[in-house]
Amino acid sequence: MKRFNVVCWLVAALLVAACGSTSGGGSTGNSYSGKTIKLGAILSITGAGSVYGPQSWNGMALAVKQINSSGGVNGAQIALTKNDDASDKAQSAQVAQTLIQQEQDMALLGPTLSNSAVAVHPLAESLKTPILAVSTTGINIVPDCNFPSSTPCKYVFRDSLGEETAIPDNIKSYAADSHPKTGVLLVAQDDKFSSDGGTIVQNTVGQYNIQLLKTIKFNKAEADLSPYVTQAVQLKPDVIFITSLGGIPAKIMTIARTQGWTGQFLGGNGFNTATVSKQAGADGTGARSASAWYLGNTFASNADFVSAYKAEYNSDPDQFGAQGYTAIKILADAAKRANLTFTDLAGDRDKLRAAMETVNIQTPLGPFQFTSNHDVKQTVWVIAMDGQGGFKLVHQINAS
Amino acid sequence: MDQQILNAIFIGSIYALFAVGYTLVFGVLDILNLAHSAVFMLGAAVTYSLVVNHGQPFWIACILGVAASALMGLVIEHVCLRPLRRRRAPPIAALISTIGLALIIVAAIEQGQPGSFFAWLWVDGANSVAFPAGTFPNPIWHVGDMTLEASKVAIIPISIALMLVLGYVIRYTQVGRGLRAVAENPRAAQLMGIDVDRMISLTLVISSALGGLAGILFGVALGDISPYIGRDNVEVRGLAVIVLGGMGSIPGAVIGGYLLGMIEVFALVVLGSNARGGVAFAALFLMLVLRPQGLFGAQLRERI
Repeated sequence: MKRFNVVCWLVAALLVAACGSTSGGGSTGNSYSGKTIKLGAILSITGAGSVYGPQSWNGMALAVKQINSSGGVNGAQIALTKNDDASDKAQSAQVAQTLIQQEQDMALLGPTLSNSAVAVHPLAESLKTPILAVSTTGINIVPDCNFPSSTPCKYVFRDSLGEETAIPDNIKSYAADSHPKTGVLLVAQDDKFSSDGGTIVQNTVGQYNIQLLKTIKFNKAEADLSPYVTQAVQLKPDVIFITSLGGIPAKIMTIARTQGWTGQFLGGNGFNTATVSKQAGADGTGARSASAWYLGNTFASNADFVSAYKAEYNSDPDQFGAQGYTAIKILADAAKRANLTFTDLAGDRDKLRAAMETVNIQTPLGPFQFTSNHDVKQTVWVIAMDGQGGFKLVHQINAS
Repeated sequence: MDQQILNAIFIGSIYALFAVGYTLVFGVLDILNLAHSAVFMLGAAVTYSLVVNHGQPFWIACILGVAASALMGLVIEHVCLRPLRRRRAPPIAALISTIGLALIIVAAIEQGQPGSFFAWLWVDGANSVAFPAGTFPNPIWHVGDMTLEASKVAIIPISIALMLVLGYVIRYTQVGRGLRAVAENPRAAQLMGIDVDRMISLTLVISSALGGLAGILFGVALGDISPYIGRDNVEVRGLAVIVLGGMGSIPGAVIGGYLLGMIEVFALVVLGSNARGGVAFAALFLMLVLRPQGLFGAQLRERI
């Protein structure tokens, strides 16, 4: 009898465990039914970063709409809020604190600018809230969000291709194609993204036997960049490297071409919007950069995204839209597998964080995973401006 | 080097034209109109929008761009300055109210997206845009090592001609005498039968028209029109120019503009790009220490 009791208990325990694992796998599809997953996006909708923030938002809003209309995440609806940080670091941190502590969001996305991320990411880390950067490409974003402390941050991820990957990949591919001998670097020194990019160029060119003749630093607020470009052009380099944001790369290209220079422009993520290509026009033809995304890719996860985006917004998406869209897909996939309770916020945030580490999905960016450092592991697309406001694909570099 | 001298003259002309409007208001009212940088941007933005979004011919758009800027001058006077003057508010109040208006104008343009409330005025948000190629004739000449673009070369005669006309109007016409009388002593001018409010409105209109035109020339020559061109590119430099030249002095603003352009470019060539901004403002600091009234400060009592 005693043995019978033990067997009964064992069978009961196994049944309970089996039930538990079923719901844990998330395959039932309705275990979150009636719940809401609260997410907050901190974006530069106004201010200098507003060239990028609205694009990210469009991508995110499209993904949320698609997921919610097709049954949500295991039945839970995603509630995503748009929060403008006005491209201001202090405002960005204030918004993040409000979203984490008052709004009790499960995870955050953003902020748009690396400059703001250095304030927001350490805050999210200290409050143990997962945060997924969608457009920040500077150095020390992941894993060392508390730079100069090198302790890896556990809660900070990014799905944007860092300049540390993009710029060296671009230089490597151009060096292999054309063997340039000399270069000049034009770098905006007054924002983190641009000055980080400049440092990466300086650290990379030597590996490919390119002699950097001069580094010319300028401030974004210069009224006229002609004197700087004249200085670069007069050195007659094979390559001009540009690390800067917004309309500045286009302006530099126009001035250099007007002054008769015919060499190659190489850059970073700052080149990768249609706005820059459009502004540079014919003067930008052939200017190369490495991108996280390419509009013309025909694999299903990108083609579907591009057509849905066009249907929704009546315009082509750009890299930032694709990364915003991907971010929501990543969080939805992680949430699906995280076995959330919706009663213990701190516990749920931790489960979501753990599930994000094992994301492996198809996205508009290509097959997507995080590295052990929470950085993006994806295919890199080397693209060149086509002189008509768009880009053409030059090389594809698969994730190693 | 030759190309760098040209670069200095081109940008110096824009600094000068912008600063003349700044200094004109200071000369008459003894206040700094910090909305001037927003008017500079507005001139460029309206002209661009009329050409690209409303299909207007470039020259018509330029005239309307200047007219819109002049109209904004009236708004500055009636919204930011006159009510405060009536209450005898200190100059700092006018400074703050003009900063406020500048922020509103920049924010309004920045919010201009397709489908938004301000779409009729601007649709490019915070983006920097340039006039499409072919909007205006822009031949390029190569002389020796130098590259001359018509759009930049044109700035020089336009700026100088406008400044000469302004100088003539102020020195030799009835209106100019009225302005100078108001600048000297508004109360006495009123007693002599001059309509002081009208003179001040006129000052704001002329100043803003010049500011708007400077913005258009900036947009044409440098291919850069965004909500921030006034605030980021010329506002502080405009202040530096009028301090260099002497607060309230029109010849001072002209000379100061070219001087700042030269200082900036030569600092870059001789000392390198890191030193450029520093040298320009070191020159300003030296001027303030050695000759606080500026280059043309001797005429301080007889402004404009």
